[in-house]
Amino acid sequence: MNVIFTVVCIASMIAIAVLSPDKLLSSLLGGAESSVKMAITLFCIYAVWMGLSELAERSGLSRGAAKLLKPVSRRIFKTDSKAANEYLAMNISCNLLGLGGAATPYAVKAIGELEKEKNSFAQKLLFVINATSIQILPTTVIALRASAGSMSAADIFLPSLICTAISTLAAVGLFLLGNKIWR
Amino acid sequence: MALIIPVIFIAVFIFAVIKKVNVYDGFTEGISKAAKFTFALLPCLAAVFMMCALFEQSGLSDALTKLLSPVFGFLGIPPELTKLVLIKPFSGSGSLAYLNEVISTYGADSYIARCACVCFGSSETVFYISAVYFAGIKVKKLAMPVICVLVATFLSTIIACLVCRII
Repeated sequence: MNVIFTVVCIASMIAIAVLSPDKLLSSLLGGAESSVKMAITLFCIYAVWMGLSELAERSGLSRGAAKLLKPVSRRIFKTDSKAANEYLAMNISCNLLGLGGAATPYAVKAIGELEKEKNSFAQKLLFVINATSIQILPTTVIALRASAGSMSAADIFLPSLICTAISTLAAVGLFLLGNKIWR
Repeated sequence: MALIIPVIFIAVFIFAVIKKVNVYDGFTEGISKAAKFTFALLPCLAAVFMMCALFEQSGLSDALTKLLSPVFGFLGIPPELTKLVLIKPFSGSGSLAYLNEVISTYGADSYIARCACVCFGSSETVFYISAVYFAGIKVKKLAMPVICVLVATFLSTIIACLVCRII
């Protein structure tokens, strides 16, 4: 992140300085402003889902869901932490249901738990899985197409499923391979 | 399908009542965690958004789009989608706005728009996710996982354009 950030910023700043120097400050301020708007949007999403997930946690519902998925998540992520397994299971189930907003807080909690046992393999694997999208039903896109007057808004379902499966499998494969080489 | 979300909410609320959980306290506690979480995220978000604004305003993103269009075309990705493919890893809202534009320009059922939808739906905002997930955690050597994800996403984009032509 550090390298990308530094390189992109310096290159862009030089380009702006040459082309239109008065734009530099305004685009930085504009970026900061849109980050605040984004943070407000995110807070709304997280408030709803973390409120709900707190209820699921206190009533023992997430423990039950985790128990079901635990054998799978333990084998994949190689972790013995009970709390981490619980969050991992919830993250995966939310993702599969297409509730991306709900999945993120669980992933962050899982990463916090994995940090305690210094399991950076599982942290990175979780990132790889989430960052390639494992959504089964792309709800946002289908809704968008329907509102644009598509004749069959859901006909992208199959291509999306194929692509999302390929990208996740490819990324996990590459990651496991890379992990072996740069050990 | 539209019923999934209402069913989840109602089920969790009723289950909490059955288990004698204080629903109001629990829900509020969850929201207070959300508030802390969002606030902890803000510095990372601000930095990434400033970088994106600079990149866009400097004209570098347009230049890169022009430069890469022929390469993408060679791989079967329509040049109209170059910008979407480039923006998506950085910004969800930015690429969503661009997806909207593509849909309204070419029509929801056109090949271009369907391609764009599949690419959008089967990828994620990689850099944003890496910033959020690893905020406040000292994991080193993130470059390898990020590159794996980007390569896989690009691969699935090529396949998306191929699949959309057939199905």
